[in-house]
This record gives sequence, C-alpha cells and structure tokens, in this order.
Amino acid sequence: MLSRDGWGGFAVLAASLLLFGLTLGLKDNPLVPFGPGFYPRIVLGLTILLSLWLVLADLRRKKSESKPEKLNYTQIVLQFGVFGLYCAALPYLGFRISTILYVAAANALMDPPRGARGWLRVAALALITAFATYYIFERYLQVLMPRGRWTGF
Amino acid sequence: MFDLLWQGMVGMTAAKYLVPLFIGTLIGVVGGALPGITITMTVIVVLPFTFTLEPLQGLAAMIGVYVGGETGGLITSCLLGIPGKPSAVATMFDGFPMTKKGEPGRALWLGIWASILGGLLGAIVLVASTGPLAAFALKFGPWEYFSLFVLALSMVAGLVEASLVKGLVAGALGLVVTILGNDPVMGAERLTLGIPFLAGGIPFLPVLIGVFAFSQVMGEVERMGGAREAERMAGKVVSFSVSHLKILFEILSRPFLLLWSSFIGLVIGVLPAIGGSAANMLAYDQAKKFSKHPEKFGTGVPEGIISSEASNNANVAGSLVTIMAFGIPGDAVTAVMLGALTIHGIQSGPLFISQNAQLAYGMFAAYILAHPIVLALLFVGVRWVIHIVTVPKSILFPVVLVLCVVGAWALSNAMSGVWILFIFGVFGYAMVKFGFPLAPFILGVILGDQIEINLLRAVMTDSNPWLFITRPISGVLLLASVLSFAAAIWQHRRAQRKAERNGDADF
Repeated sequence: MLSRDGWGGFAVLAASLLLFGLTLGLKDNPLVPFGPGFYPRIVLGLTILLSLWLVLADLRRKKSESKPEKLNYTQIVLQFGVFGLYCAALPYLGFRISTILYVAAANALMDPPRGARGWLRVAALALITAFATYYIFERYLQVLMPRGRWTGF
Repeated sequence: MFDLLWQGMVGMTAAKYLVPLFIGTLIGVVGGALPGITITMTVIVVLPFTFTLEPLQGLAAMIGVYVGGETGGLITSCLLGIPGKPSAVATMFDGFPMTKKGEPGRALWLGIWASILGGLLGAIVLVASTGPLAAFALKFGPWEYFSLFVLALSMVAGLVEASLVKGLVAGALGLVVTILGNDPVMGAERLTLGIPFLAGGIPFLPVLIGVFAFSQVMGEVERMGGAREAERMAGKVVSFSVSHLKILFEILSRPFLLLWSSFIGLVIGVLPAIGGSAANMLAYDQAKKFSKHPEKFGTGVPEGIISSEASNNANVAGSLVTIMAFGIPGDAVTAVMLGALTIHGIQSGPLFISQNAQLAYGMFAAYILAHPIVLALLFVGVRWVIHIVTVPKSILFPVVLVLCVVGAWALSNAMSGVWILFIFGVFGYAMVKFGFPLAPFILGVILGDQIEINLLRAVMTDSNPWLFITRPISGVLLLASVLSFAAAIWQHRRAQRKAERNGDADF
C-alpha cells in the first residue's frame, strides 16, 4: 500500500506522463535543429524516472505506524476558499471592496469575534488594511489597483 | 575596488537611499522577531513597495530586511524561547536558558554583537571575492553555465533535509513549470493546456510568492495559538542593561569561535538554497565539538549564542556573493532580490558587477551600513520589538496575503499574476504536506529557462555533446555535481540505516 510519499510520487508521475504525451504533438521547426519539444521531453523524462523511483522506493519501504499530528484542516480549507473568492471578486468588486470583505472574513475565521468589540476589531482591521494599502500603492507608488466591473471603482 | 566601495558608502548615506535602507532594516528586525513570519515572507511583503523605486533604493530596502531579519530573529529566541525564524533556533538553545538565569540583557546583546561582527566579517569576503568570482565566471560559455546550473540544482536537491529523491522530484517539478508557455528559440507555444495566460509562460515571482507565503502562513494557521504564549511571556521580560564593552570583550576573547562560525555561515550562504537555519545549527554543533565544556551547552553558555548568531549573519554575505557573482540565488530572499532586479531590467550574473558597478557597490555599502543601523535600532527599541511580536497572527496573516496579492498584481497589472499566486499557493502547501522541499522547486523555476537556453545554445554552437565533459570548467562542474549527488546518496543511506537501527524505518 502506498504512503504519503508514494501518492505524491504517483501524482507527479501521472501529470508528467500526461505532459510528455502532449509534447509528442509539438511540431519541429525545419529552421532549427531542435524543436520546441526537445527540452520538455528531457525534463519530463527525468521527472517520470524520478517519480517512478519515489513510488517504487515507497512500495519497498517498511511502513511504520506514526500517529498523525492533529491539525486544523477545516481552517485551512476555509482560508483557501476565502482567498479564492477574493481573487474571483477582485475584477468584479474592485480592490477596495473585495479587500475589505476578504480581510474581515479571514480575520473572523481565524479569530471568531466575540461581542461588539470583536466585530469592531474585524471592521477596523478590514477598513484600515484596504484603505492604507490602496492609498500607499495607488497614490504614492503609482500602482493602479484593480477596478471593479460592477462597482466602477 | 576601494574607490568604488567608498563611493558606494558615500552614495548610500544620501537620504534617498538611507531612508529605504533604514525602513527595510526596521521592518526586517520586526519581521525577523515575529515568530511564524520568516525573512522570506517579510521580503515578499516589502517587494511591491520597491517596484516604483530606483533599483538601488529597492535593493537597499531588501538588504536591510535581510540583515535586520537575521538579527531580529534572536530577540524572541533569547527572551521568549520562541525562535523568530528558523535560523535562530540554535540561538535559543543557550540564549533562553541565559535569560531564565536572570541575564536577558547579556543573552540579547551577546547575540546582537555576534551578529554584527559575523555580518561584518562576511562583508569583507563579500567585497573581496564577488569581483574575482564574477571575473572567473566571465570565462563561462553555454556549456559551463549549463553545468553550473545543473550543479546548483543537484546540490540543493541533495542537501535538503527531506529525502534525496523528493528533493530531486521537487527540482524537476520546478523545471516543469518553466517548460509551460513558449520555447525560447522560435517562440512557439507549447504545453499551454488551452489556458490563455500560460501562452507567455509563468512568471517566477508570483510562483515564488505563492509557494513561500502560503506554505508558511497556512503552516501557522494549522497550529494557531502561539501568539498567546508569546503575549504571556513578554510581560516577564525586565531589564536589558549591560556593559557593552564587557559583552564585546566576551566575544572578542573567543576569536577562533567568531571566525570559524562566520566562515561556516559564509560557506553555507555561498552554497545555493541551504540557508541560515543550517548555518546556525552547524556552527552551534561545531562550537560544541570544539568546546572544552560541551556538556554545558544548552544551559546558557555564551559560546552557543556567539556561534549561532555570527554564522547566520555571515550567511547573508555568502548568499549575496552567489547571486552577484553567478546570478544564482543562494536562498529564497535572494531569489526575491533577483526578481526585483529582473523587474528593473537588470540581469544578474557575471556581467552584473562590470555593467552595474555603481549598483553592485551600492549593494555592498547597503549591506555594510545595515549593520550599524540594526545596532542603533536595537539600542533604542528592543523593548518595543518585544511588544510588537505579541500582535496576533489572525491580524498579521490577512494583511500579509493582501500584500502578496498587491505584489502579484503590480508585476503586470493583470489578474493572471494573482491567479498564479493562488494556484501556486495551493500547490506549495500541498508540496509541504507531501513532504517535498520547496527550495529545489523554486531553484528549478528560477534556473529552468537559463538551463534550457544554455543547453540549446551549446548544442546549436557545436552538436558534440562530449564538450560538456571535455571542456575543463564544464567537466569539473559536472564532476562536482556527480560527487555532490553521490555524497547525498551516501548521507541519506547512512541516515536511513541509523533510523532503521533506531526502529524508525520511515523517513
């Protein structure tokens, strides 16, 4: 049975084989001795061999039972989810509104607010982060931050 | 050389350079002291602020972060028993017991002065060796560059703490990222998987920011709660007043320890992507081995603090040598600096010093001047830093990630950078969870294009593949790469056998 290393190696192997297959469809250019697939085939060939080595080494290895550390994966999924929504919202809501929403959500998820004071902390952090970042970058560093298609700013 | 250095030093004292250097150093000290916020993360946060600055202003700020971070990390290590960063772990072994014995000021200032002295010793080597090394690298043709990059990758993959094969797979994955997009010869589209923004290839900075920032932030989010402990302990810290002459005498009366530890830090810094944490631990281990009283290590002896802090600051100089002479980042922080140079259209590598002498010597000057700035900052504000580190991570992390988004966006004013940041953030976190080291991956991403270009240049110039071996420098570099690979296999086998003997078969 595969362990963490084996599954990792297997995923890399599958992705490398897929990409290697795609390189076979790349057409060579008669003007140059080596086509666009020459180097990718070397790299992917190497990746296939190494990931195969990882899978085989894992199959041959004696596994020891180790107690997994108790970690807060729900929080991780939520944080990635909120960040993904933030990225998706940026072109529609613009930098300021999406940043306010993101910082408030991320902070509230990591440290759930208790009472009015807690919500005040969340709101203050979100507003200060969004407007301070916007102000510094847009006004002083001439970085044009994303504008929202729906909001117009 | 000295004329240029003097000019660099004088130039760096101008307000337009000194201010970014000062601010960078201050941010570095605070970022280094914050447990869970690494120097890499701090320099990533600072990066977007440097986009509109002059190259030297931006690099001065980043060098300030680097030097300040290495020193700042010792504050929480010594006073709270919580390493501010991985390269201050060994400092904690004796720094914290010394604090518990009622000598927090001595622990702190031994570390600070050792950092400063180690860093300045590193500066001598940085200034003296970068030019000659770059001049030597000018003899390189595409064969030698290819072999040099292969050597860098094989060393990094072999020297990482995880398994050898996982290090190699991670390096290969980094190379895979660089083959997506277009080929460097004819610009033909390849392996874009129908995704429009892949047509131009994947820029390495959002990849680097995503991989490092997310893996570190999420790694901390998994175990939230450390800040409360720091908050509780910070209240206990009392007086830091010491006789600085006495502290300096304590360090300088151990010249061999200081020199040897700084040398270890420098060598490890020169080797790509091993980093300050290895330098810190190795120097501590060496100090213990050479000590007349090794049994006292871990109880609060000055040698433990001096060795670990001198080495991790000298390590910064070593990393700068590698990037300035060869264009190979010594670690993640110098990888970000490489990105900053690229943004300004400056190519690092052997020609860097000759083509950008003012910039190069300005960087040396920034590195040297960052040390007295750190010293001055800590003289004034060490007590404040202790209070700042109690800021909860639930406040810091969303702000850090927003700044990462700004950095990724500002590179091209396009959402593609932000999406690359997110995708590689998830990917980097998954890599960490599967136990793949990040350093070889990032080095693969950074060097991949150059490896391909130099390989193609070499075989297009002369199709004889034996030239990679028969050209003396290239041959030696490839031989070194094979030897490094063999040494890594031997080392990993030995560690595995030892683990099996101890009943721990898995790695």
